[in-house]
Amino acid sequence: MFEFLEHTSDVGIRARGRTREEALVAASQGLVSILVNPSPFRPVEERYFKAPGTDETAQIINWLNEVLFFFDTDGLVFVEFEIDSWTSGEITGRARGERFDIDRHEFRTAVKAATYHQFESHPTSDGWEIRVFVDV
Amino acid sequence: MQLEKIDDYRWLIPRTYKAGMLTDAVVYATEPLLEAIRRDQSLEQAANVAMLPGIVGRALAMPDIHQGYGFPIGGVAAVDGQDGVVSPGGVGFDINCGVRLLNSNLTLKEVKVKLRDLVHQLFRDVPSGTGQSSRLNISDNDLDQVLQKGPQWAVEHGMGSEADLDRTEERGCIAGADPDAVSARAKQRGKPQLGTLGSGNHFLEVQYVDEIFDEKTASEHNLVKDRIVVLIHTGSRGLGHQICTDYVGQLDVAMRRYGLDLPDRQLACAPIHSPEGQRYLHAMAGAANFAWTNRQLISHSVRGAFQRLFGEAVHLPVIYDVAHNIAKIETHLVDGKKKRVLVHRKGATRAFPKQPVFIPGSMGTASYFLLGQEGALYETFGTACHGAGRVLSRSAAKKGVTAKEIQKELESRGIIVQSLTREGLTEEKPDAYKDIEAVVDVVQGAGLASRVARLRPIGVIKG
Repeated sequence: MFEFLEHTSDVGIRARGRTREEALVAASQGLVSILVNPSPFRPVEERYFKAPGTDETAQIINWLNEVLFFFDTDGLVFVEFEIDSWTSGEITGRARGERFDIDRHEFRTAVKAATYHQFESHPTSDGWEIRVFVDV
Repeated sequence: MQLEKIDDYRWLIPRTYKAGMLTDAVVYATEPLLEAIRRDQSLEQAANVAMLPGIVGRALAMPDIHQGYGFPIGGVAAVDGQDGVVSPGGVGFDINCGVRLLNSNLTLKEVKVKLRDLVHQLFRDVPSGTGQSSRLNISDNDLDQVLQKGPQWAVEHGMGSEADLDRTEERGCIAGADPDAVSARAKQRGKPQLGTLGSGNHFLEVQYVDEIFDEKTASEHNLVKDRIVVLIHTGSRGLGHQICTDYVGQLDVAMRRYGLDLPDRQLACAPIHSPEGQRYLHAMAGAANFAWTNRQLISHSVRGAFQRLFGEAVHLPVIYDVAHNIAKIETHLVDGKKKRVLVHRKGATRAFPKQPVFIPGSMGTASYFLLGQEGALYETFGTACHGAGRVLSRSAAKKGVTAKEIQKELESRGIIVQSLTREGLTEEKPDAYKDIEAVVDVVQGAGLASRVARLRPIGVIKG
């Protein structure tokens, strides 16, 4: 579950889940929804994600930046995310999606990067919440 | 926040405002503009910039300032070239995002009759880069050359002239670019995007000279009323985005090692002369050179489109090309003494005396050709504003308006728009930005840059 937050120049995502992993999956889906209308995409191609970092913040930022990297290089739009392991040094996992086709799909807004600005990741009374601002 | 009024165009955030500020911050704005600026966090961000280790003079905020991530957009900070720090966030993800203005030998009347065809042709010939790659298909070696040489590479491959380079800031090449400082990922992201416009606030506009304020300068640049010009606004695309991403991550780790601490992790920095700082500057130079090449290649496509419709005799010489997201080593007077400083310009344009400065308005509104003034050298490290500055968030801009309505409204004013996305129109609608006239009034009133000509759009291409 995610929602977008107001910011003058950028876009914020507030993502929630029962666990930290679920919240990260929701944040990833939020990011994809800024890029494109995700509904027609199918999970037909898979990529491995590796997001190292000295702390949780850096790891989450790096994970989200994987989404942007594969969109820019392979034109891949991911609709399914799976986290395999989350250690103190890195997150590894997989994402499945389909290649973007300008004639069939709706592109929305290009995203340059996920940022550390006003970043938050913390437990809540019923799960976990991540807040991240992306530069568009 | 309590601001001290210096005069009608200048406001002071004293260094006593919050702990950690090493200097004062000055905001260039009129009272009504300041009211708009106060609505977001940009003044807090300007105060945070005043905490950058090694900052000299004052932290500066241009009249188009608005909230960014870490640095405000419209923020300027010069740090000691020896002992200061470099902050990739002070340049931004879109390294050397900038503006190039092309002149022409066509009049408004000549172009108007074929305007729709021209807009379609430009839309076809200048790829946005989303779902449509660059048509160049360059090799890895070519990309390294672009990083090192900038648009000189394009000239060597028949896509421009030496005259184009003469009219580009730094002749399109910051020395010291090192392809080895640019990650394989950044190269992979940037390579298919060379020669593409991008989306978001990037655009290509066919404009005409609506009014001339400074006849002498306009005539030096061969500009007359009703002359057609073309404004290109884009940057270093995915290459720059990835370089900034890579180095914010690396400097976030390094700064702790150097004992540096700032209130926002996105301000991550390292001493200029540290290995990490130097590597970032070498990579940033590569991205800057890539961006100048990008605007050169787009110029080449634009020239082709115009010649196809208006014949081989059509010329589109460069008037000037200037960066507005960059960090550069320059020599400035600090406390009466010449000093080498690293000037971070984040959404701010270099405005040295007699140098052309282009201030794009929001979509469908006027843009300005200004000339840098002496005042900028004395107070702002030779810097002026870079645009109108957003006031509405993107989601607020989209509310209650459709892309079709905006397109229709602009057409009723004689402006033809073609955009790859609906968001390109709704998020960038004219009233999502401050009034360009008010912003230009401030830089002129403060003596940073002066009006040469007002340019009005008739054709807009958006990614």
